[in-house]
Order: sequence, then C-alpha cells, then structure tokens
Amino acid sequence: MFDVFASSVGIPLAAEPVTDFFGLHITNSMIYGLIMAVIVVSLFTWAARRSSARPTSKFAFAVESLVEFVIGLGEDNFGSREKSLKYMPLLLTLFTFILFSNLCALIPGVSTINVATAEGQVPLLRAFTADLNATLAMAILTIGTVQVAAISARGFGGHAKHYFTLVSKNPFNPTNIFIGLIEVMGEFIRIMTLSMRLFGVIYAGEVLIHVVGELAGNFGWAATVPIYFMEIFFSCIQAYLFMMLAMVYIAMATTTEHDDHPEDHSEKDPVTPQRVSQAT
Amino acid sequence: MENIDPAFIKGIAIGLGAIGPAIGVGLVGASAVRSVARNPEAQGKVLSTAFIMAGLVDAVLAFVLLIVFTT
Repeated sequence: MFDVFASSVGIPLAAEPVTDFFGLHITNSMIYGLIMAVIVVSLFTWAARRSSARPTSKFAFAVESLVEFVIGLGEDNFGSREKSLKYMPLLLTLFTFILFSNLCALIPGVSTINVATAEGQVPLLRAFTADLNATLAMAILTIGTVQVAAISARGFGGHAKHYFTLVSKNPFNPTNIFIGLIEVMGEFIRIMTLSMRLFGVIYAGEVLIHVVGELAGNFGWAATVPIYFMEIFFSCIQAYLFMMLAMVYIAMATTTEHDDHPEDHSEKDPVTPQRVSQAT
Repeated sequence: MENIDPAFIKGIAIGLGAIGPAIGVGLVGASAVRSVARNPEAQGKVLSTAFIMAGLVDAVLAFVLLIVFTT
C-alpha cells in the first residue's frame, strides 16, 4: 500500500534533465514548454492572418471571440477599454499558454513516453505547469509587471505611499511602517501563492491520475476517466484564475487617487437623469 | 510512537486536509446559489466569481495532496 503513494513509482517532484545543451540541462518540461509556445504562437499567427472584418474562417472567429472575452474581462476590472488593451497582451498570453500547457498535458503519452538518458529512463515530455520553475517564472513576471505598472502609473513616491500610508500627520508612525513592511512582504507572498497554486493543482492532478490508476489495477482505464474530466475542469479554472489574479493585481496597483474620487462619478451621474427625462 | 505506519499518517493528513477546503467550497457554493436565487439576472457574474473563489479554495487541498504524495 505504501508503494502506491511513494513518489519513486510515480511522477517526481522536479523535472528531469533529458539532454545537455552546452552545459545547460534541458529538462523535459522545457521541451514541452517550447513545443507549447510554438503551437500557441503559430495558432495565433494563423488566426491573425485569417482575421477579417467579415469572418470567413471559423477558427479565426473563435480566436477573436477569446481575445474579445479577455478584453471584456479587462474592461470590467480596469474600468476602461484603453487600459484593458494596454495590459491585454500579457494577460492573454498567460491565459492561452497556461490553458494549452494544462490541457495538452492530459493527452496520453505526454508523461508516459520515455527516453533513455545517462540517469536511466525519463519521460520525454512533462507538463510545463507541473514544474515549479515554470510557474515561479510566470509569477515573478506577473508581479514584476505589476510593480512596473504601478510605478509608471503613480510614480515611485505614490507607489511607496500605497504601502506605507505616508499621508497621515505623523509620517513615521511606527504602526504605518510595520503595516507597510507587511504589505511589501505580501508581494512576495503573492509570488509564492500564484506559483504554488498552479503548480500544486496541476502536479497533484497528475499524481492523482497515477495513484488512482495504480489503485484500480486492471480497471485503471475506467477509474481514471472521472479524474480526467475533473482535471480538464481544473485546468481551465486554474488558467482563468491565474489570468484573473494577474488582472486584479494590475488593476489594484494602477488605480490612481483620481479614479477613486467621488467627483468623477458625480460628473457622470447628471447625464443619466437628463437622458431618462428625455426618454420619458 | 515509532511504529506508526507512514501510510496511516498520510491518510490522516489527507482526511484532515480535505475538511477545510470542503467547508470552504460549501460556503462558496451556498452563497452563490443564494445570490443567484435572489438576483437571477446576475447569474453569469456570480457564477464566474464563485468559480474563482472555488479555485482559490481548492488550491489548499492541492497543497495537501502535494505534500502527502511527495513525502
């Protein structure tokens, strides 16, 4: 019974190196990530070529709908379409790349076809998001973008003020400094939770499929089918979640005080009663 | 204490670790159903937010599975 849970028979925690490229270890997740990147880029390039005002290609239209969906989500969160379009490339890339990486990892053969290396047999491909290096890289990229966007939107002083609340009468209030330090630490916690969530869910899913297959014995092919459907659901949810969290972090970091002022809303509000009165 | 089977500890860990996320997903689902019942027009927005929150809560269970399966 213990053997079933042991990682020695299942999927190891870290990605294994397959080949050496001038001293750089090429792991199986890197190969998979490169393949996924090429597929995503070529699919979107193909869709962009076929895209037209009057849709002729069904695939291009589907991709356009996806792009429009992400832009619409950004409009809801950022408040304006220009701002949504500004950060859309990163968000859309994160969403499609994570979605493709998650879903294509469920194709049979991805983590089961082995190659012979010096260390023994290792899988040729491994889900890119089931490697902590990959998710950590994506999380650091996201939080780095958040910081750059915040500094460009509010200036360095304004960004620091967001953490340390220097607006009060006593700017060096120890409570504010303490809370500010906790807020700064929160950025690193964001990196950790973003990466660990995606990695944990996808990796645990792979291990779950393996364990259920082992426990079911000869009927592993039937027992893993519900787990596969659950994994498809989790893959979509996690890709959406990563994109949404990145979007919310950027939206939170780039709102200036100007947007929060009630005067802005009061300017817009008088328009609607006039329209209502005209209509009635 | 030395002769406790590690598989037993792992089973206990999975069981205890599943309680928290189960309660969390239950709360998320209950609130989502309640708000959809009160305001059926907002179903799409409520359900997408509920899925996000369920995904956030599920990650805790994923951490437990991760720790259990890899040690």
